Amino acid sequence: MAKTTFDIFRYQPDVSDAHYRQSYDLEHEGDFTILDAILRLQDEQDGTLAVRYSCRSAICGSCACKANGKTVLACMSQVEDVKKEFGTETVQVDPIGNFAPLKDLIVDMDPFWQKFKSVKPYLIPDGPAPEKERIVSKEDMQKLFRESACILCAACYSECNSLAADPEFVGPAAFAWGYRFAGDVRDGQRKQRAKLYTGEHGVWDCTRCMYCNERCPKGVNPRDAIEKLGGIAFQEGRSMKDAGARHAKAFLISMRTGGKLNETVLVPFTDPVKAHFDIPFALQMIRHGKAPSPIPHRIQKLKEVQKLMKNVKETI
Amino acid sequence: MRRFAYYPGCIAEFSSKELDATTKHLAPMLDIELLPMPAATCCGAGDIAEAKPNLYLTLNVRILSQAEEMGVDILTICNVCTLNLRRANKMVKEDARLLESVNEELVKVGARPYEGTIDVTHLLWYISTEEGLALLEKQGPKGLNGLRVAPYYGCQLLRPSSVMGFEDPDKPQSLERLITALGGEVADYEAKSSCCGFPIILAREQVALKESHNALSQSRDAGADVMVTPCPLCHLAMDAYQRKAEAANATEYNMPVLHLPQLIGLALGIDNKIMDFKRHLVPMDRVLEAVGA
Repeated sequence: MAKTTFDIFRYQPDVSDAHYRQSYDLEHEGDFTILDAILRLQDEQDGTLAVRYSCRSAICGSCACKANGKTVLACMSQVEDVKKEFGTETVQVDPIGNFAPLKDLIVDMDPFWQKFKSVKPYLIPDGPAPEKERIVSKEDMQKLFRESACILCAACYSECNSLAADPEFVGPAAFAWGYRFAGDVRDGQRKQRAKLYTGEHGVWDCTRCMYCNERCPKGVNPRDAIEKLGGIAFQEGRSMKDAGARHAKAFLISMRTGGKLNETVLVPFTDPVKAHFDIPFALQMIRHGKAPSPIPHRIQKLKEVQKLMKNVKETI
Repeated sequence: MRRFAYYPGCIAEFSSKELDATTKHLAPMLDIELLPMPAATCCGAGDIAEAKPNLYLTLNVRILSQAEEMGVDILTICNVCTLNLRRANKMVKEDARLLESVNEELVKVGARPYEGTIDVTHLLWYISTEEGLALLEKQGPKGLNGLRVAPYYGCQLLRPSSVMGFEDPDKPQSLERLITALGGEVADYEAKSSCCGFPIILAREQVALKESHNALSQSRDAGADVMVTPCPLCHLAMDAYQRKAEAANATEYNMPVLHLPQLIGLALGIDNKIMDFKRHLVPMDRVLEAVGA
């Protein structure tokens, strides 16, 4: 038998507005998940302890929480593994981050579901329905394989740095579902979806902290899906429609003209208005030698790169 | 002497020349020979990947192939370059058909096909191992005189760990080992591996400045004299944009920020002119005074 102290975040709004922590000791078998522990505590020590769960098999996506600060599925995370990983005898359990707690480990998921719905997470085919089913090739389905595995547990939102700074950011899981349908050959809304996903708080607002890829318990890699949506936006003619898109476009221009980043292009191209009015900052940068070089950089064998830019076809 | 294909990345070559200059000066002291890559492109910084994913992959494999032709691994001094190159490397190493299709494109334009034999490492990874620290010890460092240094990793040297893999992204220790070995004190704080906001700083400045606030305010509250980072993009966000972050968050940080090789340079006593602190926006005076440089 193993013995563990669980230090759990508590919030009981019926009793008080205060957030506090409570410790519980538990003897348990070696094969024992965080969810097993919470349910045992609920059963044997404290019936008021609240947790959201359902399948206990890493399918339903209900029980995401933080164990020692790291977002996990409670049903998938072994207590002994967490202790070993962090070198502790105590396991701290907290609700997922970036959401308001409703009670103990249960958070208000409404903003998550609103964002999920906002990406239209369903197929919208074009034209009349065919007489027989729409056949999708293995290769076409393979492209959506990762995104199709999302269980909407919101582990990717918990530590998303963009969301922490901008609560309206649509976010990783919703965009993974966005790509799941934008990239589906049966969908007829590719252009509309490209527009829907790329406004303010959209794909260009992802700061690339990579927490979503790191934390996803299902290997969805939401950041990669965001990247693919950027690619679709470029294919659908949105490369000049947003400062974020123009930022990426400036890299392509730099690549074609010199092979390296041309800062003289990047700043004014991304946001021409700001570049004109942010003169004090520009002067400061110049004073410290950070002004872009007026002579564009040019790598050797640039022709190879220019030809690649012409030849390489995108397959998203 | 370990030979590397040197891939400084665009920022170190242009906006943050002081990083490139310090790295080149330090290299022989760290038993490294840096071989230039005159035909290497920008890695795309995640931006080209976000616009044209197949092009991103092909351009990065082209860079890997150039190093392979030189018969050496790649050494970087930028988180973003490291991630982009390693990711492309992993993609083609794990998928022979993908490598074949990328190579077809490369051969068509007269570039060398890639065989998948190259590794990409960051200077921090090279120098923070036992062997790396022994190299520093051999230089008889005059040390950092107890300078309180806040390690700032940023994101892309740690995550995704499936691509980066050098250390646990939730408990990184490489900068801490280096700071301690050089006679500094670690000023620890939670946000050391949170995002600096730089990738969106030109397009979404106010959001980005909220992100850099986390590490700047926490390192200040941890009593740090200075922050150190292995990434020139993080450096721009933390140093060049620091006054803007102060204005946006209605606070003061006054946090000088060192590039990784400058921290080593201070401890080894290399000439301040080479490290060129005048190119930083936040003055370095109190740091130089503290280490007696």
